[in-house]
Amino acid sequence: MSTQTTPDATDAASRNDDVLLSVEDLVVQFDTDGGTVHAVDGVSFDVREGETLCIVGESGSGKTISCEAITRLFRSPPGFIRGGSVEFDGTDLTSCSDDRLKEYRGNRIAHVFQNPQGALNPVYTIGNQVREAVELHTDLEGSAIRDRVVDLLGEVGIPEPVTHLGDYPHELSGGMKQRVVIAMALAGEPDLLIADEPTTALDVTIQKQILDLLNDVQERHDMSVIFVTHDLGVVAQIADRVLVMYAGKVMERDDVFDLFESPEHPYTAALLDCLPGSGGLEGIPGDLPDPFNPPAGCRFAERCPAVTEECIEGDQPPEYPVGSDDHTVSCVHHAPDGDPGELDGVTGAIGGDES
Amino acid sequence: MQQPQWWWCAVKKWGYLVSRLLWAGVATWVILTITFVLMEFTPNAQYAQLQFSAAQSGGDPEQALETAKRLRGDTGTLWAQYTEFLSNIVSGNWGWSTYRSQPVTEALATAIPWSMMYGVPSLIISTVLGMTIGLYSALNQYSREDYAATLFAFMGISIPNFWFAIILLVFFGTVLNWVPILFDTGVAQNAAGNLTLGGVFSLANLRQLILPVVVLTTGSIASLMRYSRAEALEYVEADFVKTARAKGVSDRMIVLKHILRPASIPLATLLVGDLLGIIFVGSYLVEVVFGIPGLGTLSYNAIINQDTALVFGTIFVPTFIAIVGNLAQDLSYAYLDPRISFGDDE
Ligand code: SF4
Repeated sequence: MSTQTTPDATDAASRNDDVLLSVEDLVVQFDTDGGTVHAVDGVSFDVREGETLCIVGESGSGKTISCEAITRLFRSPPGFIRGGSVEFDGTDLTSCSDDRLKEYRGNRIAHVFQNPQGALNPVYTIGNQVREAVELHTDLEGSAIRDRVVDLLGEVGIPEPVTHLGDYPHELSGGMKQRVVIAMALAGEPDLLIADEPTTALDVTIQKQILDLLNDVQERHDMSVIFVTHDLGVVAQIADRVLVMYAGKVMERDDVFDLFESPEHPYTAALLDCLPGSGGLEGIPGDLPDPFNPPAGCRFAERCPAVTEECIEGDQPPEYPVGSDDHTVSCVHHAPDGDPGELDGVTGAIGGDES
Repeated sequence: MQQPQWWWCAVKKWGYLVSRLLWAGVATWVILTITFVLMEFTPNAQYAQLQFSAAQSGGDPEQALETAKRLRGDTGTLWAQYTEFLSNIVSGNWGWSTYRSQPVTEALATAIPWSMMYGVPSLIISTVLGMTIGLYSALNQYSREDYAATLFAFMGISIPNFWFAIILLVFFGTVLNWVPILFDTGVAQNAAGNLTLGGVFSLANLRQLILPVVVLTTGSIASLMRYSRAEALEYVEADFVKTARAKGVSDRMIVLKHILRPASIPLATLLVGDLLGIIFVGSYLVEVVFGIPGLGTLSYNAIINQDTALVFGTIFVPTFIAIVGNLAQDLSYAYLDPRISFGDDE
């Protein structure tokens, strides 16, 4: 279904040299007692060198699983990659053995997770845990390892790192813990940093600090970043490009400025409408579709004010290019034979009365 | 900086240990006091017997009771009796067993080795096997082995020990004739009736202990399996395990370093305290069915014969073991969990 939809093949080819990661038609499913969860259902995206791609969506949109699929971090079983490819620097990671993947995990592709409270092992000191990462990804030995650990902790803004080597995670604040996690992520000098809601669990002031820190280290280490979030406010601050996901599908993708200026997908528009201090996405009425039994047609149909007969048939509408090369929208109204005018009132004013 | 001073760490750690020790003392005292109160309310079988015969022979039952009490030193204020009771217990004078015609402590001392003969192996086997299977299950969740282990665990929990014991006896003792049906204490003793090392580990003795061990183990292994599975699963799914995976740690090191070590903390708790409980409760029926003259049988007979002192004696032993076990648990907790113990360095 999506073969005809990928943005112009020629353009993709011309940009190929600076594409670091290319996820193609990714399908991830979880086999549970209740049935098969269609967590990620044919998602494609690229990450170019040095850029920040934000993946935005509600919980259950598949954004986290898409990211964890890159280095297969979720438990398997129950989770399986049932289709697609994940090409990183010329290698298809989906066909790599777990052993091969270990060469990428933490080394070339690092992760920072949402909940710093749980991200560190409670029974080991932070010095020990950063050291583990250093030992795994460098050839340093003896006191050089320790020096490196101290350097890393210093780089992420832990004051007097030497005195904190022996601290246990419970002795640190949430923000400090997240800094430690970032220090571990930097240990392998990764090319790609995947930050999965790294600031969601933190206080607003701390959020800002951690965002600044991430921006900082990205620049200093010249990394690409995938930033997963449900907070469009954060997106505006850090993203180069944005991927909007809903119920395991990509709804819209665009350059961050264009997306904020002129969202073309009803869902993106709804997200933006809920933005000013309204506590995220609760403003959009309705629920995510059943992940066990995704409905036919557009996943957003049930909550979409511009829904038509056409929307609830067949598959998710293809990602139609709109305007610039980078901009695609998965909505029937943007089909070559569709009428974007149908969305006129919607992408401007949807949810206005809720927010 | 949040790093506590070393002396503060020491104070915290020792404070914790001392408070645990004090609690063990308080718990013991509470149990002894409750026991004393219960004893006060329990009709004494011997006195009742005395009064009955006095009445039969035309004497005054009340007076006979008085005389008997004076003879036994059972007079004085309640407080005096209470303090004497406490000091007796502490000094190891646990009273006289009428049914065994020997001091309670002596009766206990003869019974305990028999309980240990099957209790200790069962404890070791169920711990090692239970935890291993439980952890394996957790690491291979939803695998065929995991389902098999779960099924086995539920069978172990739901089959009543005494019924299982009888079935095993009938099958292996009567039908197959592999093990003796009657428990023979003689094979473990010398001519004088004392246990000998050679006797305890003799083939004949080991053979008659197999079924009790099996029965007790199936009962206790199941809960251990379920518990260690649940415990390990909690860590298998923990965020920090994902962090470790994302860091590139090998699966083996994830299991050893990031799952087993933190999971060992709550497991240490289960091990000493609850397991001892399971084994002592289980031992009652197992001993009675198999005819093992251990603590369970002793307690059972003491009840049947209304031998109050002995009943309490047989209850004290597991109670104190539980208290000591709990203490050991708390101490191991302090050792294993940095969130309790302070002052470790990297
Ligand atoms: S395809 Fe239909 S339901 Fe889906 S977003 Fe477009 S108009 Fe709404």
